[in-house]
Amino acid sequence: MTESNPIRSFLLGLLTWFIGLLFFFPVFWMVLNGFKEEADANTDPKLFFDPTLDRYRDIASGDQGLLSFGEAFTNSAWAVIVSTILVLILAVPAAYALSIRPVAKWRDVLFFFISTKFLPIVAAILPLWIIARELDILNTRLVLIVLYTAMNLPLAVWMLRSFFQEVPRELIEAAQLDGASLRGQITSVILPIAAPGLAATALLCVIFAWNEFFLAVQLNPVDGSTVPIWVTSNVSTRGNFLARLSAASTVATLPVLIAGWVAQKRMIRGLAMGAIK
Amino acid sequence: MTTTAVPESIDDSPAPVTADEERRRHQRREAWRRRLPLLPALLFTIVVTQVPFLFSLWYSLTEWTIVPPSDREFIGFGNYTDLATNEFFRSALWTSVLMTVVSVLLSVVLGTALAVLLDRKFFGQGFVRTLLITPFLVMPVVAGLVWNNQILGSAFGVLNWLLETLGFGSVEFVSRFPLWSIVTVLVWQWTPFMMLIMLAGLQSQPDSVLEAARVDGASTSGIFFQITLPHLRPYLELGVLLGSIYLIQVFDHIDVMTGGGPDSTNVPYFVFQRSIGGGWRFGQASAYSIVVVVFSIIIATFGLRVLSGLLEGEDAA
Amino acid sequence: MAQVRYDEATRIYPGTDIAAVDRLDLDIADGEFLVVVGPSGSGKSTALRMLAGLEFIDNGSIHIGERDVTLVPPKERDIAMVFQNYALYPQMSVAANMGFALKQQGIPKEERQRRVAEAARILDLEPYLERKPKNLSGGQRQRVAMGRAIVREPQVFLMDEPLSNLDAKLRVQTRTQLADLQADLGVTTVYVTHDQVEAMTLGDRVAVLESGKLQQCASPREMYSRPANRFVAGFIGSPAMNLLEVDGGDGSGVALGSMTVPLDGEVGRSVGAHPSVTLGVRPEHLALVPSDGDRTLPGRVSVVEDLGSEAFVHIDVEHRGETTQIVVRGEGESDVRRDDNVAIGLGGPIHLFGPGGERLN
Repeated sequence: MTESNPIRSFLLGLLTWFIGLLFFFPVFWMVLNGFKEEADANTDPKLFFDPTLDRYRDIASGDQGLLSFGEAFTNSAWAVIVSTILVLILAVPAAYALSIRPVAKWRDVLFFFISTKFLPIVAAILPLWIIARELDILNTRLVLIVLYTAMNLPLAVWMLRSFFQEVPRELIEAAQLDGASLRGQITSVILPIAAPGLAATALLCVIFAWNEFFLAVQLNPVDGSTVPIWVTSNVSTRGNFLARLSAASTVATLPVLIAGWVAQKRMIRGLAMGAIK
Repeated sequence: MTTTAVPESIDDSPAPVTADEERRRHQRREAWRRRLPLLPALLFTIVVTQVPFLFSLWYSLTEWTIVPPSDREFIGFGNYTDLATNEFFRSALWTSVLMTVVSVLLSVVLGTALAVLLDRKFFGQGFVRTLLITPFLVMPVVAGLVWNNQILGSAFGVLNWLLETLGFGSVEFVSRFPLWSIVTVLVWQWTPFMMLIMLAGLQSQPDSVLEAARVDGASTSGIFFQITLPHLRPYLELGVLLGSIYLIQVFDHIDVMTGGGPDSTNVPYFVFQRSIGGGWRFGQASAYSIVVVVFSIIIATFGLRVLSGLLEGEDAA
Repeated sequence: MAQVRYDEATRIYPGTDIAAVDRLDLDIADGEFLVVVGPSGSGKSTALRMLAGLEFIDNGSIHIGERDVTLVPPKERDIAMVFQNYALYPQMSVAANMGFALKQQGIPKEERQRRVAEAARILDLEPYLERKPKNLSGGQRQRVAMGRAIVREPQVFLMDEPLSNLDAKLRVQTRTQLADLQADLGVTTVYVTHDQVEAMTLGDRVAVLESGKLQQCASPREMYSRPANRFVAGFIGSPAMNLLEVDGGDGSGVALGSMTVPLDGEVGRSVGAHPSVTLGVRPEHLALVPSDGDRTLPGRVSVVEDLGSEAFVHIDVEHRGETTQIVVRGEGESDVRRDDNVAIGLGGPIHLFGPGGERLN
């Protein structure tokens, strides 16, 4: 909007800056504390101090607790990457069948997918725990891969459908007339156009899976634990831990933070566009 | 209606019956061709999300403790009648409602306000948007821990240091106001999300409409309330819907901030405490979770109505 | 190359009771250019998409050549389609766009390149083969879409309003090229448009569709001079034919305001059988003449559209006690002005339609 009053415009800009900094402050503070000695962190807030990388060395060496960062990171990476790939493999054809050549009751099917997100995970966790125990996959990466796939699938179907909806219908018809198979239509016509949407969807899946704590802590408290659990393992009942925890938190948050910053616009477009038109 | 159904009119046409049968077979094949790409995702979702739920339903009708191990014993609706009188459960239910409703509403209102502020041209617009989106990306466990120890904490928290410096006494925020402390962190994380959805809504508003309104002499606030807000309605609904889906299931923040307690245990956390978290009473915990499902279905019915509004006019295939 | 036959072909969209295309019968000869024209919602695009295999045929059948293609999927029908918005694959170059179908058919690379180059030569696209569609002008895109159809050397071309996204001048130019190209290639072509000028100039024959039903299929000249019913009469021709309700009377003649139009014996008898019929006269078959009793109709000029070479004069006349407007074609640079009192005389054939819209004469 164009503002007629320059002073008002300036003040509103200033206000926005102030709120932005306020919202960012906890993250800034966390990063800052990660470079402190415990003594500097566990006292009145200090803005100026001798920065040190020792806390990062501490968490890398993993002297406290049983779970090392490397282990947690590998487990997280496995669960996140494999589940996201699975989600896309399942969601792309499903989104096709709900948008481009829709099945008869596509609306009901879409509702079903979304409605599973309303079912609290907590209602399923006990049987999941028991089934996982029976199958002997408690404390394995496999159990998280399966559950993260199920967790993100509805959202991915929903988002991809929105993106596919934006692919001009004539293009797909032209491809059909040109003799392209279902796979040909998807790979050579739909996906190149919907690529930004696909990336945004994948990213959101990665964020939710990377940040997931509930299922991980219920099902994999011993082995196969992920980064969020590793972060909490840095909370110590003995001695000071704030600086170390800050360093750990920073490391755990950074991958998603960078990915989110890079793709912020697309991500939201994926959630909001197409669904609302 | 006077239109005769088509299949009948086929019957008395001279075309041989086989052609008719062939057409039907073709349609069935076509229907399956359409269904096929959907099936893997659908089956996977049914198996992983619905089957466990059926198990829960069965468990909830039994008396069953894992530690110490006991045999499963069918007791009908016993767990449910217990539950109706269980004060702790009612308190958890109330906490759940309060936590979800307040967090969703506050983040929607704040998010909308921030979106309006961000939707103006000013120096560093993109950078400020990046600052504002950051909390949404922070791992919930980390968000809980950072706020708990470094912002709200009474020992080394920035907020308490600020209060003391200004001459007020320090406050044990998390232990005195556990629910509101958690809500604060939730709002901090979800406001950016709402803001981005509303920003998408604001930017999808055609300039010509705003210009027409300005030419017609509408004031800035008049334009906002009479044109922009109605346009944003579906975006608001989407925000509320997605926010509710995730916020009703909050677990991580509670676990790292308070570890449960009379004012901060919501239903998911309650079920956890009664089962895997140490209670090991699976029968009873299942009954709790079924109640959560019932409540969720009520919310979902409302939510799905919102969704069907969103999907309106998309029927033409 | 082949003829095309629609045989009672019907399409009913799921969830509706009304046929979008209702028992369509059409025979299109080998090499013929058939234009399907109709207002929006008339089912003309649906009819084309049924031939393409993009719409299910609920009843009846469609043949291409001797083959029944009713249940054959699009890719096996050996047809090529040009879409209204061209439907070019945005991420592929012009050459890749044109060669895509051939690649799907597994045609070897050299052959593909040869055919793409040949089509590019015909369409003057050679300098643009490596460009992406977004770097082309509207006219160039349209030609790429044509090229994509040509390289396939199909039995039938299907065109769905292929010129409607071009600006007026380019549209006229491309129209001529298209007619030329089709005549050279001699491929059977079904062309859908809502623009009757395109229909009249391009088609060997024109098929008029309305509410999913075929109204008339004839050569452009016959369509214009002998419209089969009231709808076609009003739809074909610009400005439209004057259509007025008149009393059937005893069949000796009909009254248009104070003017009497005498009728021949046989026509008179069929008109006399109805209390009310529709009289149609094209603007060029009326003229401004000196007043002459009941052989002319007095009126007052309301609008003059002077196009230079000709002028269309809109005249308010009294007919059946009401004021109605009649359009008369006059000379260009005419000196008739608004509010002039004039007299209209008949100078050509008239058309008569019964209460059901059917032609009477």
